[in-house]
Amino acid sequence: MKRLLSSVIAALAILAAVAVAPAWAESKGKIYYMVPTLLDEFQTESVAAIEKFLKDVGYEPVTLNADNKTDLQQSQMNDVINLKPKAIVLAAVDFNALQPSIEKARAAGIPVMIFDRQITETQSDFTSVAGTVEIGYVAAGEIQRLLKEKNGSVKGKVLQVLGDPADPYTLDIQQGFEERMKEFPDVKIISLPAMQWEASNAGTIVADQMLANPDIDLIFVHAAHLAVAAVASLEAKGKKPGDVLLVSSNGAPVGLDLIRRGWEQVEVEQPLYAQAAAIGMFADKVVNKEEIKPGKYNVLGLESELTIESWGPNLKIPGAAITKENVDDSRFWGNLKAPAEPIKPVE
Amino acid sequence: MNSDQAASGAKRSGGRSSSLAVRLRDRRALAEFVLDNLVWLMLAVVLIVFSSTIPHFFQIGIFANIVEQSTFVGVMAIGLAIVIIAGNMDLSVESVAALTAMVTGILFCARGIGLGVTLTPEWLVIPASLALALVVGGLVGAINGFLVVRLNMNAFIVTLAGYIWVRGLVVAISGGRSAQDLAPSLRFMGIQTVAHVPLIAWLAIACFVIFTFVMAKTPFGRHVTMIGGNPVATFRAGIKVDRLVLITFVVAGAVAGLAGWLLAIRTSGATANLGTGMLFNAFAAVVIGGVSLKGGIGRLPGVYAGVLLLSSIHTAINLMGLPAHYTQMILGALVLAAVLLDTVKLRIRQKFV
Repeated sequence: MKRLLSSVIAALAILAAVAVAPAWAESKGKIYYMVPTLLDEFQTESVAAIEKFLKDVGYEPVTLNADNKTDLQQSQMNDVINLKPKAIVLAAVDFNALQPSIEKARAAGIPVMIFDRQITETQSDFTSVAGTVEIGYVAAGEIQRLLKEKNGSVKGKVLQVLGDPADPYTLDIQQGFEERMKEFPDVKIISLPAMQWEASNAGTIVADQMLANPDIDLIFVHAAHLAVAAVASLEAKGKKPGDVLLVSSNGAPVGLDLIRRGWEQVEVEQPLYAQAAAIGMFADKVVNKEEIKPGKYNVLGLESELTIESWGPNLKIPGAAITKENVDDSRFWGNLKAPAEPIKPVE
Repeated sequence: MNSDQAASGAKRSGGRSSSLAVRLRDRRALAEFVLDNLVWLMLAVVLIVFSSTIPHFFQIGIFANIVEQSTFVGVMAIGLAIVIIAGNMDLSVESVAALTAMVTGILFCARGIGLGVTLTPEWLVIPASLALALVVGGLVGAINGFLVVRLNMNAFIVTLAGYIWVRGLVVAISGGRSAQDLAPSLRFMGIQTVAHVPLIAWLAIACFVIFTFVMAKTPFGRHVTMIGGNPVATFRAGIKVDRLVLITFVVAGAVAGLAGWLLAIRTSGATANLGTGMLFNAFAAVVIGGVSLKGGIGRLPGVYAGVLLLSSIHTAINLMGLPAHYTQMILGALVLAAVLLDTVKLRIRQKFV
């Protein structure tokens, strides 16, 4: 009986090995994606997108979630370095705190690609970003347009609802936005943060401010899920779509739905699919430590510019303004239609 | 001194001592009243100061906002306070609220990951979703209670694990995505107001009234308080301690479920991080409201005053445009002050009352 059982187990093991062998044979190795959190839709979809594009070019992706904890991501980095993968894709919880981990990985011969959250204080092997400050620029341009359409010139009162004040992502958007709005002194900006990116906190801010400043023309929230709570508060105050203009950023599905329903006028998209596709397109170059040349690259139809910065090759992909006119365009990740065509590595 | 004079002297001194006793009793009652309701006094002072110093604060709309904002943390704090009064701890309430908000969102939202379930007649959505939220919350509470009571596990660890696994479940069932555009009959509860206050806030107030009655006037409430004070003595008095402790966990879970249901209504849907950070506000409110973390002491009206106090501070900071970090600093200072006050109150009681 024992012998029979052993034979069955051995046969199963061989079968399993045979079944898995082709996958091993095809894979160029493991690449770890260090995702900062799975509590927002952008990051959740980034996992699906990065895994898809890395598979397209023959790598085996493994994702680790840091649950928005810097120390956890640091220890995950330490663990992954010991596993000696082909590369690490990092979307840092904290831009500064992860620097030593990046340096440690590169010292161990493991290339590090930075996704979405740019790190400029240390060397990395490739960076694929939309440019968070640039998102602020795009938002500023759109808000200027909306205020001009409403008030005849760029003037009025804007409530800016940030995300968590400890998150550099939201601070960068704020910086870009306020930098571009400086030249319009007739625009009064009230900025308040929604602690921990929690939706009901954003709703509370909007409810309070609509009473203290009933003449608010426009609300700019730094994430689409906050816009949902903002709309709920506006609705509770008896407002109708369009009474108060609404602009949001990141391009999540909920934001696109709000545009369709008329509550929101503009969503500034982070080009998630293009950012993730670029990671796949440049993976071979990074893993094989080949030279990455500066210049224009077409990433999923978006004209993107690669520059060699002090921190390494940096590909900046333009964010787009989503309005009622183009909201159904499938290139926006908020429509959750990831490109089916496999991507090709950059030659 | 003849006997008549002596009698009248004794009468006078007797009258003096009895009036002294009455005065003392009145003073004691007043001191008791002030000590028991100190948090309400603090709330009144804070509201007066804010109203006179912060532009736009003094208006009905802002007070209605404060009451509305107190809804979720307030309801959550009811269950938490009951468990703490019974001498235990429940750290899972925030995640339970997130779970029931997500379940409500997935079933009754029309967009995002919402399935857009409809019922006929439409108003049936309200009792159906509420019952579901209470059951889901109560189930998690029952699991916590079972582990604490039957397996004798530490409540802090059990509910800490609950805090983690339930939030994990929220992410798992939502896939990190959000649901929005809640059924209109449910949204009605968040939009419709009575005396400027939304229906959901009235629901929270009703909860406080009901549970205050339950805790103060029913054998259940009295026994729970006794358990928190001295579980061994309560057991020896023939009260089924284990069963009651289990019930407190179920109640805390169900009430947290209700908080999540209200949260979904307020935000017209649910996101995977909904409610994050509310546990600490609920704890702060419970402590500020005079509930002893050692168990056996605490009244729910004080907890509601604590929640209102916190919401007032949040609102003031919103209106002043101060960085949100100040909220946390003030919150921390308030909790410390509340604990300090609790100690001082105890000493005052021992000395004068």
